Amino acid sequence: MNAAQRQPAEGKFEPLLQFEMEMGTFLSDWHHCDQLSTYMARMISHNRTDPVRHSNFFSSALNELLEVSFRGGSPEGRIGCALYRQGPRERVKLSFPCPPGQRQFFREAVARTRKNDAYARYLDAISTDLAPSREVILLDLAINFDAEIRLEEDEPPSITIIVDLPLEGIVS
Amino acid sequence: MSTAILSAPFQAEFDANSQEFAFAGVIRPRSVDEIAHSISALRHAIEQARGVLYINVKRLAQMNNTAFHAFSRVVLDACRTRSDIRFVVVTSSVVGWTERMFRHLGKIEPQITVEVYDSKFYPGQSFVEDTSFIPILRTQTKMTWRHERTILPRHGMRAGIHMADICCGIGDFAVLVRKEFQPARIVALDHSKASLAYARDVAANFGISDIEYTYGDASEMLLEDNQFDLVTCRHSLQIFNQPDLLLKELYRICKPGGRVYITNEKNSHCLGEPRSQSIQWTYNEVAKLFGHFEMDVELGPKSRRYLADAGFNDIRVESFMVTNLDGDPQDFADVITAWENVYAGEMAVKRGDPPEFIERFRQGFRDHIFAALHPKGYAGWPIWAASGRKPL
Repeated sequence: MNAAQRQPAEGKFEPLLQFEMEMGTFLSDWHHCDQLSTYMARMISHNRTDPVRHSNFFSSALNELLEVSFRGGSPEGRIGCALYRQGPRERVKLSFPCPPGQRQFFREAVARTRKNDAYARYLDAISTDLAPSREVILLDLAINFDAEIRLEEDEPPSITIIVDLPLEGIVS
Repeated sequence: MSTAILSAPFQAEFDANSQEFAFAGVIRPRSVDEIAHSISALRHAIEQARGVLYINVKRLAQMNNTAFHAFSRVVLDACRTRSDIRFVVVTSSVVGWTERMFRHLGKIEPQITVEVYDSKFYPGQSFVEDTSFIPILRTQTKMTWRHERTILPRHGMRAGIHMADICCGIGDFAVLVRKEFQPARIVALDHSKASLAYARDVAANFGISDIEYTYGDASEMLLEDNQFDLVTCRHSLQIFNQPDLLLKELYRICKPGGRVYITNEKNSHCLGEPRSQSIQWTYNEVAKLFGHFEMDVELGPKSRRYLADAGFNDIRVESFMVTNLDGDPQDFADVITAWENVYAGEMAVKRGDPPEFIERFRQGFRDHIFAALHPKGYAGWPIWAASGRKPL
């Protein structure tokens, strides 16, 4: 089964918040990941059932995604992150420029989050890897945050990772 | 974007006496090098530990995968070289992702177990989280609110402030405050999911959507430092076995220049006429009974000392007496009935008190009710309201 066949039926996602900045500016400071994830999580969680815990959970997931773009992105172009909501789910659409060789990597890494051996791969990575790969971070999102992840192939050099997070159900 | 708040501080400390390595704060390094010192500290802790090493992540607000993998590797490597040691990772039910993330370690190495910290760690928590207590909590708040609505402005309550009500219970105080004082923001935190569910239902029924009810452990909150102009914590220090720890957290989340407001009882000073002697005997015993379960319901007049020891200044203390004359005397009687049911019917039984003691114990409550409903009677329940200012 390919990724397209596994996609859930699309409901209407309402836009919540978005930011866009020069990738070079984003890459100038590692702490942008922490700051942006904390700020955005707090903004969008205020009307969730448990705003404090939702924000904590969401920030955790968003930070990992931003760190992925920080580690794998190229300095030319812009990074954009848009958040949407549909019922108990939030959607993160993260677009950033990345080197040509990385597109295939992301394509495969995203596909692996849906494979039957995803959990075994995740445990193996914790058990043996010295540092987490970007693939493991996507597995972490799928396993620990029940995320559904897919890739939208924009005009090179940009790619867009789309992550649906059903955190309201987990938190509350 | 400012870099002043970037490096949210984190702690990674080893307590050799309890063989506990505790992580707290936000740990989001770019590379393992940034946390090398903490990794060495964990290795050192493992070398020193015998038997069980506790890894406490209850106060870990955030940890990225870089840090998680690095610290996990240290523990997993130790499992492979040290068959004599076990690891217990203590996560919090409040910080949901820690439970989800750390549980995998137990699947990799059987020497690692993951435990979720919850209310069982509080000696008296189960008595006060019983949902049958909810109607009586509402009545209690109704009775104390008559006094507190005039007291609160003297302790920092005013329109437009950011406030937190810690140990909010069923959330009725937050609703009353919102209506009376219109703060700009109210966060209401409690450790009882049942009470919070009730609070959210009530809020929804009244069309209130701007009180942020949150599940949390008052002694280890997810809320950030220096956020609130006023932090209230009512009738709760007295039922924690470590009130100083709780006050430390209230201090932490309060803004410099803001105030922390607490209310507590001195149960042995509950009174009534007629039948004062029986009433006094029973409430003296109430204080001892709570003491048995590591709770101090005599804390009220000690508020000044607790606030001073926690670092507050400009401490204000006052007391008020809830009485049968405040409103419907039957409300007062209903509260005492609920106390009798819990204190005599559950707590004394759990302590193993003999039936003749329990009967005499019950009689004091019944006499208090008698006094409350007597046409010429008087029944009182004294409460101490105190607040301190966090220095600028």
